Amino acid sequence: MIHIQQLSKVFRTDEVETTALSKINIQIEQGQFVAIMGPSGCGKSTLLNIIGLLDNPTKGSYSFVGHEVSAFSERQRASFRKENIGFVFQNFNLIDELSVFANVELPLFYQGVAPADRRRRVEEVLKQMQMEHRSKHFPLQLSGGQQQRVAVARAIVSRPALILADEPTGNLDSVHGTEVMELLKKLNAQGTTIIMVTHSQRDASYANRIIRLFDGQMVAENLTHHAESLIA
Amino acid sequence: MFRNYIFSAYRNLLKTRFYSLLNILGLSLGFSAVIFILLFVNDELNYDKHNLKHERIYRVHSAFKIGEMDDNFAITALPLGPAFKLEFPEVQEMVRIARINDLLIKVENKEYYETQFFLVDSTIFDIFTNEFIYGQPENALTEINSLVITESLSRKYFGDQNPIGEVVESGLNVPLKITGVIKDLPMNSHILYEGLISIITGVQGPVEDFNSFEAERFWSVNLFTFVLLNENTDIDALSQKFPAFYEKYMKSVGDQINATFTPVLTPLADMHLYNRLKADLPTGNIAYVYIFVAVGIFILLLAAINYMNMATARSARRAREVGIRKVVGAHRGQLIAQFLTESFMMVFVAVIIALALVGICIDDFNELAGKKITMELLTEPFIIFILSSIAFVLALLSGSYPAFYLSSFLPVKVLRGSLSSGGRNSGWLRRILVVLQFTIAISLIIGTMVVNDQLRYLKNKDLGFDKENLVVLQLQDTSFRNKVIPFREALLQHPAILSVTNANGVPGRSNQKTVMRIESEEGWKDHAIMLTQADYNYLDVLNIKLTDGRNFDRNMGSDATEAAIINQAFARQYGWDEPLGKKIHYDFEIDGSGGRILKVIGVVADYHIQSLHNPIEPYVIMLNTRPAFMLLLKVRGQNFSETLAFTQTEWDHFASGKPFDYKLLENMLSEDYRNESRIGMIFELAALLTVFIALLGLLGLSSYVAEQKTKEIGIRKILGASVGNLMKMLYSELGLLILIAFVLAVPLAWWRLEIWLESSFVYHTDINPLSFLVAGIAAFLVGLLTISFHLLKVVRSNPVEAIKFE
Repeated sequence: MIHIQQLSKVFRTDEVETTALSKINIQIEQGQFVAIMGPSGCGKSTLLNIIGLLDNPTKGSYSFVGHEVSAFSERQRASFRKENIGFVFQNFNLIDELSVFANVELPLFYQGVAPADRRRRVEEVLKQMQMEHRSKHFPLQLSGGQQQRVAVARAIVSRPALILADEPTGNLDSVHGTEVMELLKKLNAQGTTIIMVTHSQRDASYANRIIRLFDGQMVAENLTHHAESLIA
Repeated sequence: MFRNYIFSAYRNLLKTRFYSLLNILGLSLGFSAVIFILLFVNDELNYDKHNLKHERIYRVHSAFKIGEMDDNFAITALPLGPAFKLEFPEVQEMVRIARINDLLIKVENKEYYETQFFLVDSTIFDIFTNEFIYGQPENALTEINSLVITESLSRKYFGDQNPIGEVVESGLNVPLKITGVIKDLPMNSHILYEGLISIITGVQGPVEDFNSFEAERFWSVNLFTFVLLNENTDIDALSQKFPAFYEKYMKSVGDQINATFTPVLTPLADMHLYNRLKADLPTGNIAYVYIFVAVGIFILLLAAINYMNMATARSARRAREVGIRKVVGAHRGQLIAQFLTESFMMVFVAVIIALALVGICIDDFNELAGKKITMELLTEPFIIFILSSIAFVLALLSGSYPAFYLSSFLPVKVLRGSLSSGGRNSGWLRRILVVLQFTIAISLIIGTMVVNDQLRYLKNKDLGFDKENLVVLQLQDTSFRNKVIPFREALLQHPAILSVTNANGVPGRSNQKTVMRIESEEGWKDHAIMLTQADYNYLDVLNIKLTDGRNFDRNMGSDATEAAIINQAFARQYGWDEPLGKKIHYDFEIDGSGGRILKVIGVVADYHIQSLHNPIEPYVIMLNTRPAFMLLLKVRGQNFSETLAFTQTEWDHFASGKPFDYKLLENMLSEDYRNESRIGMIFELAALLTVFIALLGLLGLSSYVAEQKTKEIGIRKILGASVGNLMKMLYSELGLLILIAFVLAVPLAWWRLEIWLESSFVYHTDINPLSFLVAGIAAFLVGLLTISFHLLKVVRSNPVEAIKFE
């Protein structure tokens, strides 16, 4: 699904050139649950942004479901992104002024889905996340775990092939964190590919593959026991 | 404590430089507009008040009723003043003031045309306040041929020397002796005299006749009469004696000509703004004072709104500061003082800048407003008081909302961060304020467009005659006038001078009214009718169209004394279905004897003899029996300066030393609309200024919105929103606000402008709905452009930056 070869990302300011990613090679197949780990500043988020088509690499190739996307324009990336990728963030990134329902509805709105269809699908996904009773509430009226469930609902409402999660449990207590991880696991089991950046070994253990980055380079890759058992 | 307020206010202004700059810019522009308006209004409201006795000085004006027509004149008859003084003990003193148009004054070898010379009674200095530099007020004008001039005129004629006793030649054909020099009058004097000549100088014929109280003489009005009343005179009681006065002095003639007359007293200080009379000198108009004040309040309001808007918008940022200050023990009063200090400081800076701006622009302002106001006026205690009060109220008004709103924040809530930025309520307030600003701005844009439409209408309306390429010459003295025929023939030698006519009036100027008897089914009827006496070429030169009958004809000997041409309005008004051959009795004695009987030989299509402020009235043209004082040249448009040079050469040849002076009819006509074009310009400026201030406000608000919505926009982009989606979202609110403002502004502006057009003009343009549309769209577009400045930046930025922001 994702083929990344010799991918580098360099940030330039007037004086300094910082290499965030250096000659990365990754292949991720449909249905995998990948955790990307590494210390702060190692390039995890940069990699996630590039995979999520929020940013372009400086060098190298990136092919997403058979399309070479590394040289896409902003507009092409945007349209590709909204059809294929859902995002879950550490700080939820819900819009405070919009209700739970409206927040979840947004991706469908931007995809031009008809209103009746939107309503049906939002209700469906809120039910799946057990948030249907909160659909008229505003984000600030919800607990952190509930907010992240809404964010996950928003990420999956457009039925993307890939979900990118950037430290999804970082702002949650352990009970709510587990709840969210279980949710992601369930989605993965239903066939959604998930790539997750995390610091937490416990969260990583939900994945079936862990990629470790250090200073912009891949230093290790190991399949977790889940994956091993899957392959076996 | 106070130092702490000042210091932290100063730091806050610096910290938010962009907002402070917008605010100060808006406030100083607003304030300088207000200073100008204050100066203008102060000047207008104080007309003639430099006269120490102004509360006791009244002008007498004439209210005639001739036949069915009411006619009000600013001027009165010669004997009225003396008769008033004789009859009414309340009248302590009276003065008569007669205007002399374009008087030629010759000092040594230099010649000047003076436009502000008047024949006056020597009592003028007992009534009006004049400071004498040379000479004494008691005897300055008691002698025949005496002349009192102003200081600047004295300097013009004689330099710095004392001119008392000097003799100047004059167009009155007598030498005038300088007997006094007075200080120049303030510009806001209704009669801005520069030269005063003893009235007896102008008397032709025996002095006994001049002073006679013969009834007939009360019916010919020709000069201004002012009276000084005793203290505590009851005006109503005095006015009640007027019918008896009429009975005694005037009724015998009035009954014969089917007319009545009432003198009316107007306080000196009201003359400039409240009187609209025929034969008056130029006056102001209280309506314009109101417009000015309204505009000033609008502009100030707009600037204050900007301040409030930006201050509340930033409240989220300040909320934390409020919380911390409260936690460490500040009570609410101190916080209010803190915020008010900021607004007072801001206004103070704005006032300083505004004063500088006023200093820079005062000359342009004077030109626009037709005034000569100097900066010194700003040092007058009254003006200082008003200005500081306005500044105080402005600071209080703009500072109060943030002060009272921000200081009400509960520290617990603020510090916990559960107060969403600005709060929902202040969001509404901001919207209402923006709507208010745009309602004002759009109204003023509409006003500008309609006023300009009307100006264009005035300029382009077919007046019924040709006004283009017409040169008007005025032949000042009789000897020159007597040479008018050879002068005309000489002019006609030039191929570019197409035709010439000699007349005592042109459209828009010098069209006097005279009582005539008009043939009707019930016998002769008296009516005051507008009249021009001219030669055979008058209709041709002006290209006035005949609808019936014929033009004057040199081959018809009787035309010279017996022919009249009337306009259609005349025939309509007096019910002449077949006007040709109908008779008009002209120039008769009071008892109806003498004079001439004129027969109507032609009817001209109605044309605008007077400015478009007035309806087309019945009107008669007849041939002049003596050379008249105006010469009208129809010339070719090309090589105008060459034609003019030729005209001047011929003038010099015939005018025996009178300085050459000419006017274009087109310019003379547009002078009638000087007030309107002034109003047009003022509207334009005000509209520009309000729009600009409103846009400053939008700029500030949008920068705040951009800041506040950065995260939301980032999220939306990640979820697939295109730039177009986002623009639509961000602009639809502004669009809605401007739409609401538009809906509010339209009826308001329509209603106000309709009143203006109806009340000021008999002929006016229809309000064009397109103007409204254009104003709305223009407001929307500039609004859009303004907010785009900040919003586009956010919308186009990489969303990753935005969400990292947390």
